[in-house]
Amino acid sequence: MAAQGTQSQTPGDEPEQPGSGAGQTGRAVALARLLHRECSHLLQLFKEKESFFENYTPDGGRIVSLSTDSEEPSTEEQVLRLHSALRQCLGLIHCVILKEEEEWGELEGDYESMRKNVHQRLQYLLHTTKALMETEETILEVTPDHQCTEEVDGSSGLFALKMWTFRVLVELVHWADHAANTLYKLHSETEEKDPN
Amino acid sequence: MFMSFSCWAKDVIPVPQQVSLSPNSNTQQISVSWYGGEATTFDLLILRTEFNVTVFYETLTVVADEASGRHEFNWTSAEPLECTSLSVKVRSRRNDRPTSESMLVYPQDKIVPAGSNITFCCIIGEGKSFGSFHFISETLNVTRLSRRAYAATVYNPKASPTYGYNAYCRGLAQSEISGAVLFVGYPPLLTDFICETQDLISAVCHWTEARNTHLFAKRLKTRYSINGRNCLCNPLGEYSLTDTADVRTRVVPLPPEELNTVASARNTTVRWQWRHSQYSCSLLFVKWSSHPAMKNKGELTRLRTFSGVGLRSVVLLDLYPYEEYSVKVRCGAQQNFWRWGNWSKTISFRTDCDTPSTPDVWMWMNSDGTGEILWKPFEPRKSNGPIVSYEVTLWSPDDNTRHTQIVPPDTFTMPVNLSGITVNNNSKVIASVVAKNPAGLSPPASINLPLHVTNLETITKVDFREGAFPLSWESDANSSCGYVVEWHEASCLRDCPVEWIQVGEENTNVSVKSDAFEPGVRYYFSLYSCSSEAPKLLKRWQGYTRELTPSSTIQLSTKQQDSDILITWSEIPTSHQRGFLLGYNVYLNNGSQLIPLASLSSQENREDTGGTASITLEPYADWLILEILATLGVTSLALIVVTFICYKKRKWVKGAFYPDIPEPKLPSDWSTPQSTLDVKPLPHSMVHIVEKPEWDSSKDVLVVIPEEDENDEGQGIRDEPVDTDESTSLRYYNQVVDERPIRPVTQTLPIPLRHHWIPDAQM
Repeated sequence: MAAQGTQSQTPGDEPEQPGSGAGQTGRAVALARLLHRECSHLLQLFKEKESFFENYTPDGGRIVSLSTDSEEPSTEEQVLRLHSALRQCLGLIHCVILKEEEEWGELEGDYESMRKNVHQRLQYLLHTTKALMETEETILEVTPDHQCTEEVDGSSGLFALKMWTFRVLVELVHWADHAANTLYKLHSETEEKDPN
Repeated sequence: MFMSFSCWAKDVIPVPQQVSLSPNSNTQQISVSWYGGEATTFDLLILRTEFNVTVFYETLTVVADEASGRHEFNWTSAEPLECTSLSVKVRSRRNDRPTSESMLVYPQDKIVPAGSNITFCCIIGEGKSFGSFHFISETLNVTRLSRRAYAATVYNPKASPTYGYNAYCRGLAQSEISGAVLFVGYPPLLTDFICETQDLISAVCHWTEARNTHLFAKRLKTRYSINGRNCLCNPLGEYSLTDTADVRTRVVPLPPEELNTVASARNTTVRWQWRHSQYSCSLLFVKWSSHPAMKNKGELTRLRTFSGVGLRSVVLLDLYPYEEYSVKVRCGAQQNFWRWGNWSKTISFRTDCDTPSTPDVWMWMNSDGTGEILWKPFEPRKSNGPIVSYEVTLWSPDDNTRHTQIVPPDTFTMPVNLSGITVNNNSKVIASVVAKNPAGLSPPASINLPLHVTNLETITKVDFREGAFPLSWESDANSSCGYVVEWHEASCLRDCPVEWIQVGEENTNVSVKSDAFEPGVRYYFSLYSCSSEAPKLLKRWQGYTRELTPSSTIQLSTKQQDSDILITWSEIPTSHQRGFLLGYNVYLNNGSQLIPLASLSSQENREDTGGTASITLEPYADWLILEILATLGVTSLALIVVTFICYKKRKWVKGAFYPDIPEPKLPSDWSTPQSTLDVKPLPHSMVHIVEKPEWDSSKDVLVVIPEEDENDEGQGIRDEPVDTDESTSLRYYNQVVDERPIRPVTQTLPIPLRHHWIPDAQM
């Protein structure tokens, strides 16, 4: 039996049909995947400049967490929760930039450049999920959701800042991957409803 | 009593004061009291003094008495107090900072100069185990300081990168990690500290950082100050340099502003303003240069210094008329010159036109009184402005008539015709050429036109050497204004395009060069004297830059006179000669080779006029004709004799060569009818029918009418049995003439054709 043509295509690669639901979700999936790649690259750049983190796995669970319901949420609800988590992630990367610039100034290396990329890409993804999910009843914000007042693991010093930054970057990789998977689920369901 | 204290870095723990001991021999107790401030934890050490043996060492929590403010502790000795001397030490203790379970590393964010050693300590969490201590990627050897503290030293670290070095401590669990960042760099070091002023109000100081501090973090960057307002320092130290000078000796003037020019033809006034009204400059450095478009014509850049009190303008002299220049100015202090200030902006200007220079005029006259007035276009910077027109005037002093013609600026010749002028000894016709541009008219360039064209018989050959024709002559006393050397192609006879050069009267030689010279072309060079009279031809030369073979063939015409053949040819045109003719060689062409017959040399300095050669036929040619005639005659005679003899003996000749052919004799009458030719047949042969074709009854066939029955006696053919085992046989019947009729037969039944063959044995 021949595979379904739509299922064999990579979301985001199909011909763009402005206005179509599948087109929008496909673009969202592609954007989330790009963000995941960039977050992974950013983490790699960080490890290269702070060589000891190669063999370190942070402990302590997620920085960003979502409330869990007893029932399995629908895909739309998952995307809404994802949107909330991404807002927190935006707050975290915003805080990282703030603290690092406070210590090192505005450097222009590869790490700083990719950090800026991730920040902008995350903002764009938030706008995309807002466009996908917002309704008259549900208004979605795209502002960072983080106060940036923590004392980075309760201790002071630049090393503690580096440890915390590392944890944030790992968190971003996790949530970008989660975003890609959740949005792909939404994209698949949207395509089933509207194959055209 | 000993008192000791310990402290952590910045925090100082209070030292117990006024420690007193109160022994009670009955209870064998010593009451130790002291002032410990707010501390509640103390280490108490009791020693047997003489042997320095510890009998009590514990950490105690003792709260101060509210009334007295003193802390008190009672110790009971196992031995009576009278046995030996005892010593007591008390010290305050702040509970170990890392009361938490996490690991800590000290010092945090330390900054050290390059080349120094640094010791870190790692304090593991309560109940945890130490793993390892690392500096960047290197594992360090540790020294245990206490139950939970471990120290490691880094020796002579190099200057750190942007984000510093990481020194970190690991526990046994993968996630147990803590560390500190170390910065290694240099204190600031600078050189070339100089301060200047441009307005005697503010100063600008410059310096050079002689060494990178390697401290990149924001809070570690070097800070600067001058005259104590800020510090030239970073966390590793302070550096100071002093520049002391009278500010008036450090003046770097501001550049002039708002430059403008007032230009004339050959000089320009440059003016400017100063930013501050009270500003003045007494030393100016001015640079002006021709526009880059003039580069191929010799771009001119000039520098000049002007000095004076309060200069606000300068005059640039000796400029070229109608030329574009650019100029810029900078100022320096005339007294206590420190250095030149910055350049002003560069401005461009164009000088005005001036009247043109005198044109270079010459003439060409034909023998019939016609000719041309010629002049050269101006060289760069000679026209002094765009030429508007030329005015050519012909006038005769005799009758004071003038004819002026205005020609456009791109015209450099004008035809003249003097043929109608009555000539006497004093007749003169003068041509004047004046160039005109927006500034006015040039001085006139005049030339006396010769009314008769003279020629010279002698033309000297001149060789082309080193790219030029070297010409030399004897000085002529009448050449009051020098000489003119003119040249043109020799092939031109009328209205020739000529080139010329003016030569000063003191010169008697010149090398003539021209880009127009071509190989194979003869040029005539003429030397004229320049005076108040018409130019006089003094000398002529002719030459080639390079001689080539003649370019045209010679047309021969022949004429025979008796035994002589006269060959004539005409001259080769000068343009085809392509070199000086040395002569002619005459050859006889017999079809396979050229046999030289004659060689004719040209007369030197004579024009070629062609040539004539005469060939006389040799006598042996007549004998040849006689021989031929004689041979013909003898042959004819021989034919006549032979013919006569043959006629006389014709009968014998006939009989010998073509006798008559006799007729044949017949023995009997040949008219009897023919009979059967009895021919013995050939030896027996069998014709075996291997196939009997089917008879096609639809077709008519030609068959022989079958013979009668074969019962005739003695004659004919009889059916004889044949010695064959074949089923059928054929007999050959031979008849020379078969007179039996042959007619087509249509039959339904096949009738075999029978051939009778009579074998020899049965005959």
